[in-house]
Amino acid sequence: MQVFELDSPERLRAHLAQSRTLYEVRADGQGGEHWQSVSVGDQTAFNPSAATASFSAKSFFFAEREVLFRFEGGQFLSALPEVAPQVLFGVHACDLQAVAYQDRFFEGDPHYQSRRAATLLVGVDCVESCDGGFCHTVSSGPDVRYGSADLVLVPRRDKHAPWLLLAASHAGVQAIEALSLTPAIDDWASERLANSQRVAQQQGEQVDIIKGVALLNAGKIEQSTWERLGLQCLGCSGCTSVCPTCSCFAPLDQPTASGGMQRERVWDSCLYQGFQKEASGHNPSATPGARVQRFWFHKFGDEINAPFEHYGCVGCGRCDRVCPGGIGVHGVMHKVVNA
Amino acid sequence: MQVIPSICTFCGVGCGVGLRVEQGRVIGVEPQQGHPVSQGQLCAKGWSTSFAIDPSNRLREPLIKEHGQFRKASWDEALARVADEFKAAQEAGGANAVGVISCARATNEDNYAAQKFARAVLKTNNVDHCARICHSPSVTGLARTLGSGAMTNSVADIDQADLILVIGADVTENHAMIGARMLRAQARGAKLIVIDPRKTRLARLADIHLQLRLGSNIALLNGLLQIIFKNGWENAAFLAERCEDITPLRQHLASITPEQTSAATGIAVAELIRVAELFSHSPAAFTAYGMGITQFQSGTNNVMAVSNLVLACGQIGRPGTGVNPLRGQNNVQGACDMGCLPNVYPGYQKADEPAVQEKFAEAWHTAMPSTPGLTSMGMTQAALQGDVRALMIIGEDPVVTDPDQHQVARAFAALDFLVVFELTLTETAKMADVVLPAASFVEKDGTFTNCERRVQRIRKAIDAPGEARIDWQILGELAARLGYADMVWDSAEALFDEMAAVTPLFSAMSYAGLDANHGLQWPCNAEHPQGSPVLHAQSFPLGKARLFPLTQVEPAEGPDAQYPFVFTTHRFHFHYNCGSMTRKSPLLERETPAGLLLINPQDAAEHGWCDLQAVRVSSRRGALEVRLQLTDDLPRGTVAMPYHFLEAPCNRLTNDAMDPVSKMPELKACAVAIEPLAAGVVPHNPIDAREVVAHASL
Repeated sequence: MQVFELDSPERLRAHLAQSRTLYEVRADGQGGEHWQSVSVGDQTAFNPSAATASFSAKSFFFAEREVLFRFEGGQFLSALPEVAPQVLFGVHACDLQAVAYQDRFFEGDPHYQSRRAATLLVGVDCVESCDGGFCHTVSSGPDVRYGSADLVLVPRRDKHAPWLLLAASHAGVQAIEALSLTPAIDDWASERLANSQRVAQQQGEQVDIIKGVALLNAGKIEQSTWERLGLQCLGCSGCTSVCPTCSCFAPLDQPTASGGMQRERVWDSCLYQGFQKEASGHNPSATPGARVQRFWFHKFGDEINAPFEHYGCVGCGRCDRVCPGGIGVHGVMHKVVNA
Repeated sequence: MQVIPSICTFCGVGCGVGLRVEQGRVIGVEPQQGHPVSQGQLCAKGWSTSFAIDPSNRLREPLIKEHGQFRKASWDEALARVADEFKAAQEAGGANAVGVISCARATNEDNYAAQKFARAVLKTNNVDHCARICHSPSVTGLARTLGSGAMTNSVADIDQADLILVIGADVTENHAMIGARMLRAQARGAKLIVIDPRKTRLARLADIHLQLRLGSNIALLNGLLQIIFKNGWENAAFLAERCEDITPLRQHLASITPEQTSAATGIAVAELIRVAELFSHSPAAFTAYGMGITQFQSGTNNVMAVSNLVLACGQIGRPGTGVNPLRGQNNVQGACDMGCLPNVYPGYQKADEPAVQEKFAEAWHTAMPSTPGLTSMGMTQAALQGDVRALMIIGEDPVVTDPDQHQVARAFAALDFLVVFELTLTETAKMADVVLPAASFVEKDGTFTNCERRVQRIRKAIDAPGEARIDWQILGELAARLGYADMVWDSAEALFDEMAAVTPLFSAMSYAGLDANHGLQWPCNAEHPQGSPVLHAQSFPLGKARLFPLTQVEPAEGPDAQYPFVFTTHRFHFHYNCGSMTRKSPLLERETPAGLLLINPQDAAEHGWCDLQAVRVSSRRGALEVRLQLTDDLPRGTVAMPYHFLEAPCNRLTNDAMDPVSKMPELKACAVAIEPLAAGVVPHNPIDAREVVAHASL
């Protein structure tokens, strides 16, 4: 890995935007923070806050809605996306860990992979904890994990020091070649470690999470606890929409203008009653509690997550914010531990 | 990819929503973290927005019906036809032979244009909208008690409440973000009390659930008041200072005993006393209510009974308190504010006052009608009688949503001419002579007003499909063809500015102000330039508030030997009203099969009926074939259906018995009989041989 000094992330951004569509998280002035495409000439200062945007990077690769194929004139026509080269600028460690997780889940999916292949990932270490995040506890941050980004920006405690820029992949090295950056001389590894330890301290011991996950994997949570949690699940699908590692989808068939049919793949949610219901009417997850239980097994179950070598949960804290019933990860684990 | 900030199109909570736009399509939504009401959350309906406005079944061109079939037409032809027909109807039957049903989901700009069209162009006060069958009793009831029918406090007041009282509202399902806020308040220590004949989710999570006999609202509220006065728990200082003399009310209540109340409502005396004590002693009690109060033939009085309780305990005019009707639609508050009501102009300026008529005659450069207008229920009746010949319906589906479906269909069939502005071909649109394709909320700029009087900006994210146009644009072009040139605006903002200039409640509002402040709550005028989160802090619009002696009125049609079950209507979380938008989501459509009648398991067992049993349910007005769903949400003797599914239109059963003051029909109570279908028979409800709308399928 090559590490450089970077006087201005804005300069890096402008450089990358010349050859790629660039996306960055921007406030919209109406209480929202969203990934938005940013023009080449954009001069806005790059001030990454620890706060996570409402959406992770998931929708850039696992599209919320996309046409899989059409059936026209008696033929099936594939509808692979044509993706212009793009760059996501300033992705947090947690979201990058989730991309790595989904890279494995969607390994054989040409739609996901064509978007993924066209994307340069520029991560940014978090040097302060966000509210409610616990990336440290689940080993997904706050420093960008090795291999999960092409370039990594490291903010400095000392405002007068230049940023550090890690070129962590071949694509990353190539992307910045023309900038001719000076190699970094400071002990960047220690600095990143110190940042991480600081964030870890801010996030605290996360006893509920650790104990709750242990109880879950030991099979020691009563069904009645899950059912009590289920009463608070409205089935809004907020959790599965914002969770960076959720990957369930449903087909939607619609007629085309020319008399054919097209099949779209759309995000689905296992919290819906109809998600697992079978044609006979039988439902393996018939109660809201059973569905809540299933969701958390998918996020923290040792067996199910073994192929990914990481929990499905990356500690981003979005589910806590988005859940109207108050049963995001901390709500659930607190109840489980205190049942 | 861009995300455009807007406001959700579904219910009256008015959640912030970010519209995700990719290649000219809205492909999803994101929550708005910093939004004052939704605080970064959305419900299942909000999350389904991309499907709701999906172009797949959207109307793209005007349609004209010829020989019972629709054919495409140009805007010129369609608009000319509408103008001619309305002219002809008025020539034959007079100015009031026509009417406009405006849209509680369209913008304030659209609604202002609709009532201006009715009054300035058609010269009639026959303008109304679906608030008639929703919160019209709140408007009439609170007008009598306080002088203003809107939510007195704000959603944020829930955070400050020590006690939250919910009457006849299924908040977590239908105003989910407000329900969520109530649950968070409860988690930090507020007491949650729910009054509902059904064991809703909120009732199950509440600290106290009073499962009253359906329709016994006034008996219960009188009973609580009687206990409060008997014990001297009323807020004497507030009553003395802020209310008219309550001697008539005291005298009226003196003859009631807790035992009588218990018998009338089915609630134990101890529970009545407990709730009376908690509510009267609470430092800040937030009272919310919904259709379980309004949709009765005593709807206006039911609302006044709620107001009596709140006033007697002084739980109003301060943070954390208030009388808070939960308005249903995303812009029903706005449709009322904009004067789409037969008796008021924008800002509730009375239509029968000569000074008001003169003001608008001057502003709009033409004489104003002087005869009072008809409500939507009145227009339905008048259509049956041949007095209303031509009707314009903007974005509403009375064939599915109004009571006594057969009568509604007959009324529309009796018209000489019906024009419907719509997004998709709804049941009502299918009955029209001309259908005009309208732009959805993601395809136009404008404003919505949520239940807490907050006027918020919606923003155009994509172009409307095909040739669909914005409602106010269509109305402007029709006006021009009818000889009135003063309804042409360059932009939604210009329209809004015109409205604000003639509407004192909005006089200090502008798009710039709305953008900067997450919207503004009216009144927003010179005295309150930043808007008004809490109303009635110093005085009421009436000056002093009024408490009224009220008597329990039973629902018009109770159970009897022939129709032994009480039938009520409700909503599921997953669908929105007639389902024309939410049923386009494959995920929501999958949630519940259409055509379920909910019944208590013991009732089912007593008759030997099982879950999903096919039955015929009938009332004096019509019958349906459905399947039973057993649930202990319902008390014994009461059955329920939602009205989301046009294949099982529960409004074939409902009663249009009306509240005399507000003309609200009694959608919450009638009587039905249930018979099992023969073994193997699949429930089926024939709708007329028309195009079958294809819903989302997997």
